[in-house]
Amino acid sequence: MGALDYIWAGVLAVFLGPELFSVFGVPVPVTIVMIFAGFFLGIAVGATPGLAGPIAMAIALPILISIFGYTPDALLPVMGFLIGVMKGATIGGAVPAILFNTPGTPDAYMTTLDGYPMTQKGQAKKALRVAHLSSVTGDTFSDMVLFICAPFLALLVEGYLDLPEKTALLILSLSFIAAVIGGSPAKGLISTGLGLLFAYVGTGEDFYPRLSMDSKVLAQGFPLATAILGVLIVGAVFKELTDLWREKRESGLLAGTIEDSGDQRLHMREIRRLVPYIGRSAVIGTAIGALPGIGSTLAATIGYTVGKARYQRTKSPEAPDFGKGAPEGIAATEAANSSVSGANLIPVLSLGIPGNAAAVFLILAADSIGGFNPGPSVFRFTADAVNPELVIAFGLFTAMLIANLLNWTIGGVFMRSMGIMTRIPKQVLLPTVLLLTLTAIYVQETRMEAIWFTLGFGLLGYVMRVVAISPLPFVIAFILGGKLEESARQAFAATGGDPWFLFTHPIAAVFMALSVGVILLTARNNRVRASRASA
Amino acid sequence: MSHDSRSNLILGICFAAFALLLIFIWIPFDTDTGLIEKVRRQITIGDALAPTVAGIFLLLGGLILILFERNAPDQPEVDPVNLGFMAVVFVLLAASFLVMRYGGPAVVALVNLSRETPLEYRLLRDSAPWKYTGFFFGGTLMIGGLISLVEGRITLRAVLIGIVAVLAMIAVYDLPFDDLLLPPNGDV
Repeated sequence: MGALDYIWAGVLAVFLGPELFSVFGVPVPVTIVMIFAGFFLGIAVGATPGLAGPIAMAIALPILISIFGYTPDALLPVMGFLIGVMKGATIGGAVPAILFNTPGTPDAYMTTLDGYPMTQKGQAKKALRVAHLSSVTGDTFSDMVLFICAPFLALLVEGYLDLPEKTALLILSLSFIAAVIGGSPAKGLISTGLGLLFAYVGTGEDFYPRLSMDSKVLAQGFPLATAILGVLIVGAVFKELTDLWREKRESGLLAGTIEDSGDQRLHMREIRRLVPYIGRSAVIGTAIGALPGIGSTLAATIGYTVGKARYQRTKSPEAPDFGKGAPEGIAATEAANSSVSGANLIPVLSLGIPGNAAAVFLILAADSIGGFNPGPSVFRFTADAVNPELVIAFGLFTAMLIANLLNWTIGGVFMRSMGIMTRIPKQVLLPTVLLLTLTAIYVQETRMEAIWFTLGFGLLGYVMRVVAISPLPFVIAFILGGKLEESARQAFAATGGDPWFLFTHPIAAVFMALSVGVILLTARNNRVRASRASA
Repeated sequence: MSHDSRSNLILGICFAAFALLLIFIWIPFDTDTGLIEKVRRQITIGDALAPTVAGIFLLLGGLILILFERNAPDQPEVDPVNLGFMAVVFVLLAASFLVMRYGGPAVVALVNLSRETPLEYRLLRDSAPWKYTGFFFGGTLMIGGLISLVEGRITLRAVLIGIVAVLAMIAVYDLPFDDLLLPPNGDV
């Protein structure tokens, strides 16, 4: 099969896959329906403060696996649903930020700066239209870059990197993620170390399950879902519950609603004015998203800062400043944070390294169902025999295009109707999400220990947030821990037991030097910043 | 967040000490093979190496916190009042899961008081309405309790929200599927 045959097979796998129902004799494939369902759910959860895409993914995953089973046929419907959620949540996050000055997700914080002032001026619908246009443009651009770069990067990795280099690349990724996420390389290293440590409990090649302290419960290790959902979701719920309780004690009231006034449509001349901001931010977000671990919050901040610099040079005197209700501010932020999501899948699909929480859930789905192992081997264009993983990869790209099409056509209307979701009180939502998550874990694992593990990881996630340690390096290290050890064992054996295999191969040595360099450089920069701040 | 907080220094010392304990005590005493093993003239990586790498990450993180980031601006301050709230949350969660675990058998035991041939919960765990009892009571206590805790008062509204949410979860996770077991029915 040639490259075009694979692409076509991926498209057909989505459109000619198992039929869910038919309308007037026309079969409706299940993957399309799942992308639709995921997309609308994603907008709804993105628009609900306290919820986010990963929560919806966590809750839906066991249900989806129960429906579709553990067969390769389940991959596209399940992962199509998750991609739909990811895309929907990206645009949904702007709704509470604009309407209620409450960022649904951290990356929507910068959207509040201009979005909420526009709402206060009665321009809420216009602000939502700007957010939608910018978000969907950035997202589509990012996806295009993903489609082009991921296969080439994977081929490059497969062609030039051997086992020692792959091991060094995993170490470099972990160091990079540790250094850049959360702004403190020390805390990133701690988070990564904890993730690796928990991944290694109860595993290994010996008869005795290591670090299990002779406990039968620990001997089986920690299930992937308990660690991911515990640290990411339950930890976040605990933190939000505490913040809410504090807020209530110190008395906080919801602001009243503001009626729309004036022209709410987005005209062509306004779109032309926004295009440079959207374009720059889309490039910034995509470049940042392609590096594993750097989140959309940083992309939004840089996009906003770059946009602000341009705006100050070019704005007319009567136009509002950035931070006072400038549509360009929303465009710069939303295009940047939305263009992270597609590019973030470049390291997932080409290297098997997840870069953000949504990617973590895609890997969890692939791991739970089986038959698809994200990594460089996916992009083997075998001519003699069909590589089913490659067909799935192009099926996923097709699913992303369909979600984008939905986003361009009906996403905006649905997004603007989701203002109602912001009225669900968090104190009702958070306990419900907690029980939903724990139930989702139990129906997957069917043992109470899984719930205790999840609560334990939730407590760890809470403490990490309290002491400002980002939980994302923990989760990524937990996922990559097994792969790192396996790769090191194979490299060690392949080099004839050379203990210095990471340093005797030139590319591996460069990766190792970069691993140390990125940590030292970030630590040094932080120290300089700290001494400037205290001076 | 504060300039005066010493939380980074304390955190650094704790993690550096934990890493040393891990590398020199826990790992050597709780793994079968060392860092590198020689088996039948072949050298292989032992089970202790990977956790030691994890320990090195922790040690490095602790040391960088102590040496480079102890004076970092905006260090978090841990508020004991918040930790107290979390402790209460955990007591409530433990109580909810105890009710969830033993609620079903307790209801069956109550029913058995008025029956000649006693029922056994284990045999009923896959038949409605018995299979929902523990999840219903435990889940309602958890959701209603957490809402009341955050709001600072117990209300009928909180209990009703708990009931509706639990019924919705039963409808989502159990009614459409024969193969899914709600908690605690996989353990009883």
